[in-house]
Amino acid sequence: MNHLSTSTRAEYVHEHIKPVCSRATHLKKQVDRHNLTEMWDMILAMDYEVDNVHKLSSETCEEFCDIIELLIQAFKK
Amino acid sequence: MLNVTRPVFTELGTQAIDKGLADPQLSAFYESMMSESGIVTEKLREHMPYLSLCSDQLEGFGPPPIFYVGRRSSQRLLFGDDWALQQGQALRTPDPDLEYASADGYRCALAGRPYYGYARTTIQFQGTSVDIAFERLILTLRPSQQSGRRFCAYFGVIQDLHQLQQL
Repeated sequence: MNHLSTSTRAEYVHEHIKPVCSRATHLKKQVDRHNLTEMWDMILAMDYEVDNVHKLSSETCEEFCDIIELLIQAFKK
Repeated sequence: MLNVTRPVFTELGTQAIDKGLADPQLSAFYESMMSESGIVTEKLREHMPYLSLCSDQLEGFGPPPIFYVGRRSSQRLLFGDDWALQQGQALRTPDPDLEYASADGYRCALAGRPYYGYARTTIQFQGTSVDIAFERLILTLRPSQQSGRRFCAYFGVIQDLHQLQQL
């Protein structure tokens, strides 16, 4: 059998999840910087009914990230 | 030559909602938000698909940029998924005339007075001219009781729509 070592398993992120989570993580930093964290939480809770972006499927997370990019644009002064 | 209907953007006032003259779904949204003093609670969830949300950043003569277009909102029905999910720049109504004509309602809502009105106009979009009549409600909401952040929620109800002419 092909076993992963403990350290390898800890670092492993499914190939289809990793890019989406990276985008969300990057956007979350921008959202925090622009003081829009409450808006991020509100959209997640009201539309997607989750409290953490990593609970979204990759496709749904992409859609959420699209909204967040518009959110940042909309509040940018 | 296209026969353009003279645009009408009239404020009816929220008393028209109180009198039962507005669309029932729009009225339910209004009453729900007023009962929470414009603070977002769980009550907002059922209305989200019908809303467009925009910031409180008024620039020039136009309304604030949009960041959320509900899946069953009037703007998505009218302008489509591609418009609603476009990226790279602030999202705005694709017809500049409509954009400017609609701005007063947002200014009113951001000044603290919920706006309810009726509009009838001709929209130019993707080479098509569309004559449309709609109710429009604009409220300013806050994401939580303690928050200093504000945003606008737009609830539009299309009453009549006619494609007039391919340009």
